[in-house]
Amino acid sequence: MKYRVKEGLQHLQDFYRLSFQGLMGGVRQPFYFKDWIEQMDYAGSGSLFIVVLISLFIGMALSLQLSAELSRLGLKMYTGKVVGISIIREIGPVLTALIFAGRVGSGIASELGSMVLGHQVDTLRVFGVDPIKKLVTPRVWSAILMLPVLTIIGDTVSLFGAYYIAVFVSHQSGTFFWSSIRDILIYENVLAGSIKPFIFGFLIACISCYMGLSTKGGAIGLRRTTTRAVVLSFIVIIVADFILTRVLLYLLGFTV
Amino acid sequence: MIEFEKVSFSYGQRPILNDLSFSVQENERVAILGGSGDGKTTILKLIVGLLRPDSGRIRIDGEEINKKTEEELREVRIKFSMVFQEGALFDSLSVKENVAFPLREYTHMTEEEIDQKVRELLRRVGLEEAIHQMPEELSGGMHRRVAIMRSVAAFEPRMFLYDEPTTGLDPVSADVICRLILDLSQKGSGFIIVTHKMFDAFRLARRFMFLKGGKILFDGNREELQRSTIPEIRTFLRELSIQGNG
Repeated sequence: MKYRVKEGLQHLQDFYRLSFQGLMGGVRQPFYFKDWIEQMDYAGSGSLFIVVLISLFIGMALSLQLSAELSRLGLKMYTGKVVGISIIREIGPVLTALIFAGRVGSGIASELGSMVLGHQVDTLRVFGVDPIKKLVTPRVWSAILMLPVLTIIGDTVSLFGAYYIAVFVSHQSGTFFWSSIRDILIYENVLAGSIKPFIFGFLIACISCYMGLSTKGGAIGLRRTTTRAVVLSFIVIIVADFILTRVLLYLLGFTV
Repeated sequence: MIEFEKVSFSYGQRPILNDLSFSVQENERVAILGGSGDGKTTILKLIVGLLRPDSGRIRIDGEEINKKTEEELREVRIKFSMVFQEGALFDSLSVKENVAFPLREYTHMTEEEIDQKVRELLRRVGLEEAIHQMPEELSGGMHRRVAIMRSVAAFEPRMFLYDEPTTGLDPVSADVICRLILDLSQKGSGFIIVTHKMFDAFRLARRFMFLKGGKILFDGNREELQRSTIPEIRTFLRELSIQGNG
């Protein structure tokens, strides 16, 4: 029991150290720009299609649900407003982060894990290359930079999906829909939705890198760390989203 | 050059090395023998500071390395050339980029000079044709030849550390690797080879250490090893007689 507690604390300490060093590697030489570009391409353009596809259908489903429910209350014209707030402040950032964790997070954990098992990380150290700067920093910064971009694209596509359903299925006014969206694009809502992806990106990359680099025990170990990276990222995203929402609502002066 | 003094090491709660003491000189050709999980690879990793001992001292050129930072260990590591099991090539890089990796890290060569140097190194091991291939396209023997060339690309190491360089290879490929190892040590650099293939160990090394249960059961030359009555060593020697008869 005592050993387990000690081991747990050691993991936590190592995770904090890796996260801090991974982040600070972005402002200290040497910079591995080629790796940054590769990782940004993998995380960003590699995830674009799946983000667009899922966001489109989520936007359409949300619009359908709300149109049906609001029309029973005679408030169908508010569909755009409710859908817009839900997507921009909550569903967009969380959904994109979950897709990102599933695709990019698992990729990072399995890639780094197989590099550990194949002694490639040890080889880097033998050559005097800091694995955190070479492997972790490009992944952490690419996640921090790319997840917000993907979130903006995902939000936009979701809103178009919602617009399509509201106008062509629910027969609402397209002009009113867009004017509702314009009304909610205020500083508080945009800020509340745009801070989250930076933090989610950082958390996903750090968890996935840490899990990947602590892989032990062959193929089974690799499966274990990849699964752990995704599951832990999902849990952390949901919990962090609640905490961030609470803090941001308070800071931005919303009353609950 | 290498000195272990009462070194103990464990992975979590599993002890691997127990009060291990030995020293190796720069020009020696040493084979570390033993079964799987007996800590052979751990010794190599301790030498270059990839692992830190739980207790005891490790000295390289008289300097203790236990408490050195990663930055300080860089100076220690360039004294060695370490080739991991199965080569450990970076699988996202081509053969050329793998061999060029240390050149880019340690030298200020131009792209043209790097290309020339990589071709020259690959030519030495008959792999110039494979320069643009990816590691997944190479055979096990080719993997290791590239890895050995990569380890000597940027600097002349004072000692080579080989982790099971011939394991899993067919006799012809193993022979090529053994000849390469001997060729590289012609200039007087010694090596430590970790293996459980007695045939290759006898061909390459002059000094033999046998590990069992985290301790050195045997440390001596070929004749002494062959005369040893230790049951574990006799089992290993039996493999040699099988290969000899075959």
